[in-house]
Amino acid sequence: MSRAERVLALSEAAALARDGMTIGLSGFSYQNPPMEMVRALIRRRLKDLTLVSGPTAGIETDLLIGAGCVRRVVTAGVVFERLAPIAPAFRRAAERGEIEVWECDECIWHLALKAAAWGMPHILWRGGVGSSLPELNPDLREVEEDGRRYLRVPPVQPDIVFLHAAEADPFGNVRVAREAYLGRSFSERALSLACRGPVVATVERLVDPDDVTAAPERTLLRGALVVEAPGGAHPGGVSGRYVPDLEHCREYVEAGEARRRGDPVPFQRYLERYVYGAEGPDDYLRAIGPDRLERLASRPA
Amino acid sequence: MNGGRDAQGGSPGRVGPRPVAGRLDVARLLACVLARELRDGEIVAFGLHAELLLAAALLAQRLHAPNLVIRHGLRVERGADLQPAAWTAERASRSHETIEYLESHDAILDVANPASPLRFCDVFLVGGLQIDREGSTNLIGIKGPDGRMSVRGPGSIGTTSIGTLARHLILFSGDHTARRFVERVDYVSVPGWRRRAAAGLEGGPSLCVTPLAVFEFQDGSMRLRSVHAHASEEDVRRRTGFPLPAGAVPRTPPPTAAERAALEVVDPFDRLAAVDLRPDGGEA
Repeated sequence: MSRAERVLALSEAAALARDGMTIGLSGFSYQNPPMEMVRALIRRRLKDLTLVSGPTAGIETDLLIGAGCVRRVVTAGVVFERLAPIAPAFRRAAERGEIEVWECDECIWHLALKAAAWGMPHILWRGGVGSSLPELNPDLREVEEDGRRYLRVPPVQPDIVFLHAAEADPFGNVRVAREAYLGRSFSERALSLACRGPVVATVERLVDPDDVTAAPERTLLRGALVVEAPGGAHPGGVSGRYVPDLEHCREYVEAGEARRRGDPVPFQRYLERYVYGAEGPDDYLRAIGPDRLERLASRPA
Repeated sequence: MNGGRDAQGGSPGRVGPRPVAGRLDVARLLACVLARELRDGEIVAFGLHAELLLAAALLAQRLHAPNLVIRHGLRVERGADLQPAAWTAERASRSHETIEYLESHDAILDVANPASPLRFCDVFLVGGLQIDREGSTNLIGIKGPDGRMSVRGPGSIGTTSIGTLARHLILFSGDHTARRFVERVDYVSVPGWRRRAAAGLEGGPSLCVTPLAVFEFQDGSMRLRSVHAHASEEDVRRRTGFPLPAGAVPRTPPPTAAERAALEVVDPFDRLAAVDLRPDGGEA
């Protein structure tokens, strides 16, 4: 018998997500968001999702909210660094009461995932005492122990995790680019260790298993389901592969801001052009322009 | 530490309209002000909007703190291009050549033991949609007249836990308006002095730097430490949404010759010109 490969098509992997699920998404600011998968999820017109994204989230979260797929967000923040201090669809939906925000910060976000990974009913944490987090998030109860105040952080457990990375072998070993230096990993491990279901990694390219054993220190995760999706983080970047497309993100932010101010047309146009009108990766690459990724490619010395 | 007090201070006798300071001039001044606060042997950390504090930290390293450890996002490095912490827009960035330590994001949990040599940080830079008199910050949202959240903020990012547990906070704002500087924040991302005392937390904010002035804290409340040369004290008081103690306020010492020379090395391409700040304080 031979070892089973764990490679799926994008549509097969997207079909694993269902309405109402708690979905973990990779990404930090503009780095490594699983955008090809996010677009596939929106095309499935999923509803009532809880997103566990970030810890500091960006376009992957904002686009899903803007497309109406989300009911609840577990994140420490949704921002477009340099472009918009508050992500437009997140802001609009929260202000209109269309989404709930599980108010936290980056540390509490991580601890909730650790609690799930470790099977703990809660973790006591001193950070956040004296802040508004416990008043805005009833799950974070303040308790006193040995004369000191703590927040009780309960587990947060994704049903499925979608992440994007540079490479994987067909057996589900996911790894970073050799040139990745902006932090080798963000929250991929924390989300995956907390997850009760499959972890799906879209990757820039599939590599030979021998490449993986030649440099095991680059392997971030094992046991993932793998989807090949070159350019799959765009308009985010992939550390060591390509830089974020700030021009595209500006187009998105402006569309989102227009909608927030009452003009829904540019946002609808964005969705039609880049999401609904792009059934797969090839359509998307055509929509952004065939040489766009080339122009964003990293050129480390 | 070097407070730059031996430097010349502005030109208090000036009358008539004040010179218009450019973004780069103001960003450079603020980098100097922040650098003067960083001490040798400390670990300084910052996340989003990192360029200004990175410039300050690199300046401090060159001038008086050679053993300052710079935690720039998820890496510790020996000096680099002025770049955001988690990403770069530059295809040919070579900052990877200066990195000595890489970690995954959950290292931000390592903030509760200030004695470890691997501790996350000693000094932490924090901003907010609102900053109040006692130095509490708010990135969560702003309340409307009905007492409900009318402006949804970005979220507290990493500020709450790191800011609660770090003993030394420096606050920063890219503008200076009465909307930003309020008597009491609507929501608390990082507690200031009174709230910290009530919660049994140690330390707190020591300084708040804006494009117009520098605040310090006395008995848990803000007061003016200095006003920048291009701003007026009257304007600063008018743009601050709570009363500030009366009394003469000195000018912020401008960059010294040594600081200017170090800035040329730290920021040869004038990247500080892109820092998001309003030299005139912004729309009041």
